[in-house]
Amino acid sequence: MTGIIPYPAHVDVLDNGLKAVVMPMPSNGLVAYWTIVRTGSRDEYEEGRTGFAHFFEHMMFRGTERYPTERYQRILTEIGADANAFTTDDLTAYHVSLAAEDLETVMELESDRFRNLAYSPADFETEAGAVYGEYRKSRTDPLFTLYEAVVETAFDVHPYGHTTMGYEADIAAMPGLYDYSREFFTRYYRPDNTILFVAGEVDPGRVFEQVERRYADWAPGYIPPPIPPEPEQRAERRIDVEYDGRTLPIVWLAYKIGAFDPGDARQVALDLLAELAFGETSEAYRRLVLDEQVVEFLAAGAGWNRDPGLLDVYARIKDPDKVDYVIEALDEAASRHRAVPPALDELAALKSRIRYGFLMAFETADRAAQRVARPLAICGGLGGLEALHTAYAGIAPDDVQAAAETFLRSERRTVGMLRGRR
Amino acid sequence: MTAGASGAAARRPGSHPAGGPGADVLLPVPGEPTVSFSISFAAGSQDDPPGKEGLAYLTGLMLAEAATERHSYEEILAALYPLASAYGVRVDKERTTLTGRTHLDNVDRYVPLLTDAYLRPAFDRRDFERLKSDAINDIENTLRYASDEELAKAALDAFVFADTRYAHQPEGTVQGLRSITLDDVREFYRRRFVRQNVAIGIAGGFDDALAERMRRTRGELPSGDSAEPPPITPAPIERNEVLLIDKPGADASISFGFPIDVARGDRDFYALAVACSWLGEHRQQVGRLFQVIREIRGLNYGDYAYIEAFPGGGERRMPPVNVPRRARLFEVWIRTLPNEQAHFALRAALREIERLTAHGMQHEDFELTRTFLAKYSLHYAETTARRLGYAMDDRFYGLDAEGHLERFRRMMRELTLDDVNAAIERHLAGRRFKLAIVTGTAERLGSALAAGSPSPIDYATPKPQHVLDEDREIAAYPLPIDADAIRLLPVEQAFER
Repeated sequence: MTGIIPYPAHVDVLDNGLKAVVMPMPSNGLVAYWTIVRTGSRDEYEEGRTGFAHFFEHMMFRGTERYPTERYQRILTEIGADANAFTTDDLTAYHVSLAAEDLETVMELESDRFRNLAYSPADFETEAGAVYGEYRKSRTDPLFTLYEAVVETAFDVHPYGHTTMGYEADIAAMPGLYDYSREFFTRYYRPDNTILFVAGEVDPGRVFEQVERRYADWAPGYIPPPIPPEPEQRAERRIDVEYDGRTLPIVWLAYKIGAFDPGDARQVALDLLAELAFGETSEAYRRLVLDEQVVEFLAAGAGWNRDPGLLDVYARIKDPDKVDYVIEALDEAASRHRAVPPALDELAALKSRIRYGFLMAFETADRAAQRVARPLAICGGLGGLEALHTAYAGIAPDDVQAAAETFLRSERRTVGMLRGRR
Repeated sequence: MTAGASGAAARRPGSHPAGGPGADVLLPVPGEPTVSFSISFAAGSQDDPPGKEGLAYLTGLMLAEAATERHSYEEILAALYPLASAYGVRVDKERTTLTGRTHLDNVDRYVPLLTDAYLRPAFDRRDFERLKSDAINDIENTLRYASDEELAKAALDAFVFADTRYAHQPEGTVQGLRSITLDDVREFYRRRFVRQNVAIGIAGGFDDALAERMRRTRGELPSGDSAEPPPITPAPIERNEVLLIDKPGADASISFGFPIDVARGDRDFYALAVACSWLGEHRQQVGRLFQVIREIRGLNYGDYAYIEAFPGGGERRMPPVNVPRRARLFEVWIRTLPNEQAHFALRAALREIERLTAHGMQHEDFELTRTFLAKYSLHYAETTARRLGYAMDDRFYGLDAEGHLERFRRMMRELTLDDVNAAIERHLAGRRFKLAIVTGTAERLGSALAAGSPSPIDYATPKPQHVLDEDREIAAYPLPIDADAIRLLPVEQAFER
């Protein structure tokens, strides 16, 4: 075993391009079986098709000829598995947590639906209603409402400009897109665009045998989407959002950054910068949250994305009259980090935090999967995650300052302000 | 029917305060690289004095998110930071529980911070002002305006437990929180956080020395009273009653239920767990309610049933730990849907419950559900920290010899269909409901409910004939509600006092 991941991973790639990553680890008799499709709302480049990756995730539970929904559900029920899925910008993950002795049963079901999904137009239309319900539930959250507006403002052409839920008008039009849904499946749900991650009390050799047996006849043919590159942003953008309800004001600063790249020190340093500048031991946090108490909540993070994405900073402000004051204070934090490298002991504390946070995350097979799914999807393997942690160790204070100089600039950012109805 | 009749006469949940010699929970997992901690005090929102609703909650926050005598809160954050560890608190109706987890490498740095939190809180004024204002904001803004589903659930709980010590939510009320002073917090801590009231739990890769070190902290707490709390007796529900939370612009979020007199440990509890799982296991697609409302008709995102409190259901997939209660509801959660479909969805859900209580579970459903639960319950406690949480809750329920989860799995083998149907008959049949609905069309929905008028629905796309036939039955399903049993509450008054 080398590197940061506490358990060794075994990898096999089928001729059709399907990659299987198996991580044996103690897990109280449970196994995590994840099917990670490297497609998300990023791939929704066509007009009127936003939200489709997420909608399609729902359709994957609508059965095949061999295992219609009821039979699929019944089998999962009989084995007491916990099965669900989620969609993000860069990936869609289908996850099952199961007792180790039921692994073959789950592989039979999962391999079948990924190869042979079949659903009726009626099922398709019904599911569109459930997706609309999910949107309704989400939009009562002011943070979601603001986020939706910020990304739309920040991106001119790249699909990162809409959330994974999609635009409401597109969600409303979904029931009429049955044919497109079949095309979506044909384009993206292919072995050469999919990674299996299996963790827990399993034997890698036996898993690989099963993968070969059950997935080898899945035809490759992934068609990469022609995603338009986002032109460089040259001036600050602002968006004011009125929330239909009461809320404290929320400010969201979204800085354009590069794509996930463990080989680029400035990009790696961004993860550290976000924490050092705005995390809970930062000067800004101390001042705004603890001392002056003008901010209720402050958080920041640099996105790990396949294409250039965003470093987000957001704060919920207690006093509506202090909004500009808080933005100025956050600006001061940014300019301080552009001007001065962080202290060595601060950087060391953060590196320790990242390391222990990572080690403690491998608590169960399912949590291990949650931790690795995104880097696995973005990089196509676990190498990117290992490389990232190696790169963290080598980041010097000057790298953090250089990252701030490059990225924490007002011309690269969108400022979103949400206020509630008075 | 009482809990005693189903074989639990020797035990009253929560009636023995946690604490005293032998009350510690040790759960060693040799080789595990982390240690989990749980320190539980018999101090909960039921102990809030009238007019000070939220006192236990603020006191809990002042332990977990504030300074100690040795360190400012800022210093605590800085010290925990490189460990990637923290400690947090859950304040519920019966218990305040501090929990945390750290890597074995960091135990010596972590433990003094954790133990200072409950042994030596500083009650710093600036921390108090911050936490109090956050707590008020959480109600005034977040609960009322940003989470309709949680609002409906909290409102139902308050509706059912009105005039008992469970009546207000653990997070308190706006007026209650406003009236709380730092001296109130100090006094509450002095009275409730005593050695007779504490249970200490430790799990994972710890050694004897660490266990001993944690146990010794009990002796550092002052001695005090551990008065038994008064019983929680919700008023019987004689007719269906509705609370409409009037929130302009909102879609409909619905919770309804009634009290049930069973607890972990009772055979009937496990029998009801089978029935309830069949009706609507949380976040699972197999449940009957989910099938009828979402899967077949696509009205919303999910529909579930519960026999224990399940706060934060939108975020969590598995049941919470550290929420032990002496009284509980049978409860149904219908997730957000369009206002014009609320009446229909409500009828659909109530009709399913009536069918269950009238006909009982069928043999095949019973077999499938108990097979499901025997294994699915493995997911309830996947991590060591959650197993510790269940073990701490076992103390509360007096399940010392055989823990709840162990018993749960045994019951899934032993229960018969007759047991389940008898429990359904005893606890669910013929009951009236209290309903809490957050809605943007309160007046209109209230009138429709009172009139009992049919509630047909339209679909954007065609549905099979058998669905339309069933729709006609649902739309006319009798749901008797008297006009004077409907109350409108403007959202800005929810949890105000």
